[in-house]
Amino acid sequence: MMRAPRSRNWLPSTLVGWLAAVLIVGAWPTPAAGQAGSAGQDVAVVVHSGVPVDNLTYAELRRLLLGDREFWASGLRVTLLIRAPIARERDVVVRDVCQMTEAQFRQHWIGKVFRADTANGPKIVYSAENAIEQVNRTPGAMTFVLASAAAGKGGKILKIDGLLPGQRGYKVR
Amino acid sequence: MAAEEGEYPRLRLAGFGDFNFSRERRIEGPRGFSVGQFVLHLTSQLSSRVTFFGEISFTARTDAGTGSPPAPGFNAEIERMILRFDRSDRLRLSFGRYHTPINYWNTAFHHGGWLQTTISRPEMIQFGGRLLPVHFVGALVEGTVPAGGLNLGYKAGVGNGRAGVISRGGDAGDVNSDASYLVNLASKPDAVYGLEFGASLYADTITPATGDKVRERIVTAHVTYQKETPELIAEVALVRHEQAGSVLWSRAYYLQAAHRFPWDERRWKGYYRFEHINIPPADLTFAAVRNLDGSTLGIRYEASPFAAVKLEYRTWLRGAGSTRDHGGYFQVAFTF
Repeated sequence: MMRAPRSRNWLPSTLVGWLAAVLIVGAWPTPAAGQAGSAGQDVAVVVHSGVPVDNLTYAELRRLLLGDREFWASGLRVTLLIRAPIARERDVVVRDVCQMTEAQFRQHWIGKVFRADTANGPKIVYSAENAIEQVNRTPGAMTFVLASAAAGKGGKILKIDGLLPGQRGYKVR
Repeated sequence: MAAEEGEYPRLRLAGFGDFNFSRERRIEGPRGFSVGQFVLHLTSQLSSRVTFFGEISFTARTDAGTGSPPAPGFNAEIERMILRFDRSDRLRLSFGRYHTPINYWNTAFHHGGWLQTTISRPEMIQFGGRLLPVHFVGALVEGTVPAGGLNLGYKAGVGNGRAGVISRGGDAGDVNSDASYLVNLASKPDAVYGLEFGASLYADTITPATGDKVRERIVTAHVTYQKETPELIAEVALVRHEQAGSVLWSRAYYLQAAHRFPWDERRWKGYYRFEHINIPPADLTFAAVRNLDGSTLGIRYEASPFAAVKLEYRTWLRGAGSTRDHGGYFQVAFTF
């Protein structure tokens, strides 16, 4: 099958159109994502006592929350336990750590499972007590609760970028 | 541990579907209303380190039924069937039928129309297309390493390569004694959250249903930024065919930009894509692949967290001297 020679005059107009589209969408005002919520307590990152980690960087925490990292260094699988929507702890980790809306976070995990990147999304827990109870009995588990609810309940509270909840500069809040 | 083993297998079922309407100046696809794909996705954890993934699609076709001429019907297809063993984040080994991981779109969105922003896939990786092998049957080793915040992911695979009909994978066995190989490297750097870039190499020997063997080499690259304000996807593919001493290069790329608007609870997303395909006339292996310079402009509305409505306008040329075509498209896409 013969084809006519390809025209080249489409290129300038196409590139101009493309750049204009990028500039228009890129300049669109965005809501202030990443702002901290109302003044409140820090959110503690609590893991099962057998997890061989004491400190995570903020980027590592985000990768765990998004399922981009599924194993602890010991080879133990990470089990994510996250509060149901509306809970402040979930709001903090979804909006501030992942920089996503609730809808984006759900779509991310549906896509993650559909891509066969992982078999399971985060498990939902309905209270701080329930979250800590499940962390204590699930090797490799990780959850997020208000620091006041985490104290003295078992599990291990991780440092984030070297800081514990309540310390100046702690970011998960 | 024993109690944990009792929890397996742990089967989950999810699905995707879409309904469409199209109106084109000169018909290239379905006319009027059409049922899109009905896709079932199965995930079954067989142990804490072994997982099965399956994807089955049912696609409306004019020739899927029985009789002569064949009646319209639905064509069932096993899109993916993968058994994977996870050693750690750094090492996973799997076997099965995959969407070939040398193209970002092909592995990011699969058959989930709801997952992709647009109604249409880029033509370089359309379902049933020939330019890039959509499916890959074989084995894959993959993993990610932190690499100082670069978060490097790798995939290396060996498989059957294309079937005699080159739009198909070698599901029932290899058509020749030459395996296909692929390598994919990608990075999601911590420093720029949302950014991903990567490149792939693919090597195969094609034995077409008619004609001599063709040595095929494919080089692809992609860059994406997935924060939705904006969302950017760019991919390029170069396909080298060597046959009887002559070497021919085909090339294709697309650039897509989208932006989720801040109003109405961020339900609206506008998008634009330009795509280009150029096939050398002498490449008979790609005789059925058409040149393309096309633009797609559309808007997506999230009717619910799990259903979207999309409206799209497309305009395209099929090479120099061709008449410009255009069409309007509507889609309702959902997951369940």
